[in-house]
Amino acid sequence: MRFPKLQPFFDARGWKPFPFQRETWTAYRQGKSGLLHAPTGQGKTLAVYLGPLSETLAGPDVCSVLWLTPLRALAADTLRALREPLAELAPKLQAEARTGDTSAAIRAKLRRKLPHTLVTTPESLSLMLTHDDFADKMAHLRCVIVDEWHELLGTKRGVQAELCLARLRTWFPTLRIWGLSATLGNLTEARHTLLGSSFPDSVEVTADLKKPIVIDTLIPREMERFPWAGHLGTRLAPEVAKEIEKANTTLLFTNTRSQTEIWFQELLELRPGWKDLLAMHHGSLDPAERAIAENGLRDGSLKCVVATSSLDLGVDFSPVDQVIQIGSPKGIARLLQRAGRAGHQPGKPSRILGVPTHALELVEFAAARDAMMVRSIEARPPLEKPLDVLVQHLVTCAIGQPFLPDEMRREIQSSHAFRNLTDSEWDWALGFISNGGAALAAYPRYRKAHIQDGRYTVDEKRLILQHRLSIGTIVGDASVSIKFASGRALGTVEESFISRLKPGSPLIFGGRHLVLVRLHQRTATVKPAPKNIQGHVSVWGGNRMPLSTELAHALALRLKGDGQPTPEMKAVQPILDIQKKWSRLPDDDSLLVEHTRSREGEHLFLYPFAGRLVHEGLATLIAYRISRVSGQSIQTTHNDYGFSLNAKRGLFLGEDELRQATSEENLLGDLIECMHTAELARRQFREIARVSGLILQQPPGRPSQSQREIQSSASLLFEVLQRYDVENLLLQQSRREILENQLEFTRLSQVIHSLQQRPILFVETEHLSPMAFPLWADRLQAILVAADATTRLEAMLKELNQAAG
Amino acid sequence: MNTFSLHGQVVQFLPEGVVFLPDHGALIVADVHLGKSATFRAKGLPVPEGDTHRDLARLLALLAETGARRLIVAGDLFHAPSGITPEIEREIATFLQRLEIPFHLVCGNHDAKIRRLPCSIDSQAFLQMENIRIIHDPRDASGESLHLAGHWHPMVKIPDGRRTSLRLPCFLLRGTTLVLPSFGSFTGGAVIPLHPDDRIFVPMRNKVVELPRELVR
Repeated sequence: MRFPKLQPFFDARGWKPFPFQRETWTAYRQGKSGLLHAPTGQGKTLAVYLGPLSETLAGPDVCSVLWLTPLRALAADTLRALREPLAELAPKLQAEARTGDTSAAIRAKLRRKLPHTLVTTPESLSLMLTHDDFADKMAHLRCVIVDEWHELLGTKRGVQAELCLARLRTWFPTLRIWGLSATLGNLTEARHTLLGSSFPDSVEVTADLKKPIVIDTLIPREMERFPWAGHLGTRLAPEVAKEIEKANTTLLFTNTRSQTEIWFQELLELRPGWKDLLAMHHGSLDPAERAIAENGLRDGSLKCVVATSSLDLGVDFSPVDQVIQIGSPKGIARLLQRAGRAGHQPGKPSRILGVPTHALELVEFAAARDAMMVRSIEARPPLEKPLDVLVQHLVTCAIGQPFLPDEMRREIQSSHAFRNLTDSEWDWALGFISNGGAALAAYPRYRKAHIQDGRYTVDEKRLILQHRLSIGTIVGDASVSIKFASGRALGTVEESFISRLKPGSPLIFGGRHLVLVRLHQRTATVKPAPKNIQGHVSVWGGNRMPLSTELAHALALRLKGDGQPTPEMKAVQPILDIQKKWSRLPDDDSLLVEHTRSREGEHLFLYPFAGRLVHEGLATLIAYRISRVSGQSIQTTHNDYGFSLNAKRGLFLGEDELRQATSEENLLGDLIECMHTAELARRQFREIARVSGLILQQPPGRPSQSQREIQSSASLLFEVLQRYDVENLLLQQSRREILENQLEFTRLSQVIHSLQQRPILFVETEHLSPMAFPLWADRLQAILVAADATTRLEAMLKELNQAAG
Repeated sequence: MNTFSLHGQVVQFLPEGVVFLPDHGALIVADVHLGKSATFRAKGLPVPEGDTHRDLARLLALLAETGARRLIVAGDLFHAPSGITPEIEREIATFLQRLEIPFHLVCGNHDAKIRRLPCSIDSQAFLQMENIRIIHDPRDASGESLHLAGHWHPMVKIPDGRRTSLRLPCFLLRGTTLVLPSFGSFTGGAVIPLHPDDRIFVPMRNKVVELPRELVR
């Protein structure tokens, strides 16, 4: 197929279209929808955008293309990229962005008239659905492009996007939808999730440009003094500084926000001259602070930016010529994505330098390279039926364009997330947004949507306003904002961290040494610390990303001795030899169980290689089942490779006993019992209550009296629902989410199932083996599983009394 | 063990968050917030009904258990005007019928917003019983004698372990004022920044214990 209209753009630059771009344009012209799989910086924007543009070049400036981006911060860059061909090929057509950051003036302009190309986020699109003239304004829409679909997939925002797309498809049956995705293990599923059931002949285009990715590792020179595992050490910082010196611009990725702060300090200490050349980027920094790092990367004025996953996403930082990963890569897709941030030009190889913080991470990097070669990449499972998102969307629709329930149900079920919606779930959702539904008697005088001529509608002004303020599925943590007395915002920290500091205490945040002046409500006022004061590095929760199944498997293969020799394996060989001598090398075909005795009693170490969340669940489950029989209290620790049990006695188990403790029988029941799932579910309910509209988003400033009248906490609502509407489906969702998010229940059941088939190899060890040592050393850090408040308080009082005497 | 002598008065704490004064035969509760969930529903938030009935039943049970000769509410018996529905008025009428002892309401800031209280309930700014004064807002306390108040919905935050803490409703004695926790089932609370001489009492299972200050820090 020929595309003469697009030729001038390429001629002007001396470019030739890539085959995948032609392939995408052709499919688009044939009326198809699909998913384009391309690494960043590969001309993917032109591939998906020029198709719809070429159709509308000569037409009037009416809204024809909708570009959905997951990140507000990406909108400006996207706009720049889209305006380039637009200026060349159709200077009369406009492109604008409408996101939460858009100024009131542009918003007002967009309310009057939409541009040819509109860049927006799922939240802003939802918001626009509440305007009754939106469908008319979009009447000329031809194509929706969803950027970075892999980021939205598997999240509630992704489901929100699915539902919005279903709405648009109902309005415009010939609409084409194209997604862009980075490498994923389940691209086909990703496509079906994006497109729903309406596109039987959709296509998948792969930009196979053979962009080579090189994974190198910084190998410690003194291996014998390198920690076996455990700490997030900065031991290799001097070598890292040398690597940064060699490159022009380096992106240094860490796994947590706290690590970002630590590495930033460490590098500054080693190279004080880099004060103005070093910046930091993480999700808790104020947007203005983040912009400094982003701009510095774009214009190449910075030497290095220390960042977390907040910089994983697609902004194009061409000057970056080196990417460094500190610590475990955790997953293959993530490592590849990060590697792709370097050398953004097509054809240039992407290199990532792995920096281990302990010996076994060397094996992880070698394993990640193996997995990349055989293309064993993690999948992102899509979410199934999050009802909180559904009820929010239904109210959105009822405000914008009142709907007939049967038609709406067909529309909702055309989305992937809700394809299996049952009658009772649908009836419940309709009840929830109208009169209280099934448990009608429990909701006297409640009314939100009402039925007019058979259509669900919400027309009360106050309710509409309230809903518009509440649209979205991102729920912030209980966080405290950090500000200077001048009012300049630095970012946010968790309340649990800052509330432990007293006024006058030093802290490190955003690379700055600060002193807390005062903490009032949700604001911590700080001032710069006097020189040479050491502070506490700010701590955030959520450092719980587990090693992926794919990487764990590749790691197990490496430990078994599979694969070509590599420098990493050569370096760790002495440690693996000790492991082999004192015990055996664990793998994932069998289950290695080490038993040993110490002054503390007996220890049991098991290595299923299933990631920290699953290990935490398994450890707690087994401890619970054993102590139910023996009556002994058992302490547990876990990491990404395995877990340990420690008790005074009673851990010298036979195979039958261990098989019983890992049996699949009553798995869910026992887990709920031992993990205090009820307590955890109450905490999980906060997000659900917010998304479903049970808790209102408070506008900034002091709440008015009528707002204060309807303030409540998620845990109170959870209790009220449990007392008077136990059938409420949001309660069940909360339990389901806690099992998946906190325990990876699906993965845990698969592991338990596979353990049934794996032979158990018992080894009695005299010394703690290299694999066991970090688990043992971690025993003091084990965080107690939450019991209910009274039990915890009783324990504390008892302890206090014992200490007294 | 639940009985303390505070400023020369015998005060019995009950784990339900109420106070019984044996010398006066009086049961004191604060911040019941009847009709709160109805207020939510009136504003388009689907919160189920049930706590009004539950809380009134809990009150009757406590009266029977203590053998109280009078009931005093230290303010905020009701939540908001939009929460006074006919159903709730009926609940209250039944409650008052079954209540065979005198009933006093000290007017709370929430009660004050309701022009006519249901069942012609009377309210007063404060209530004096010999040397004890019942008020709603602790800021209204004055003088050397013991005051019982509400309004704050006090909770205490107890750090446990490394990064977590417990939040529990509590009785807070500051100077001569004892602030009661909120009684209503659908009411939250606020962690009150403590003064050095504050004393804290927390319900724990079937008793109320004074919290050692080491635990709060």
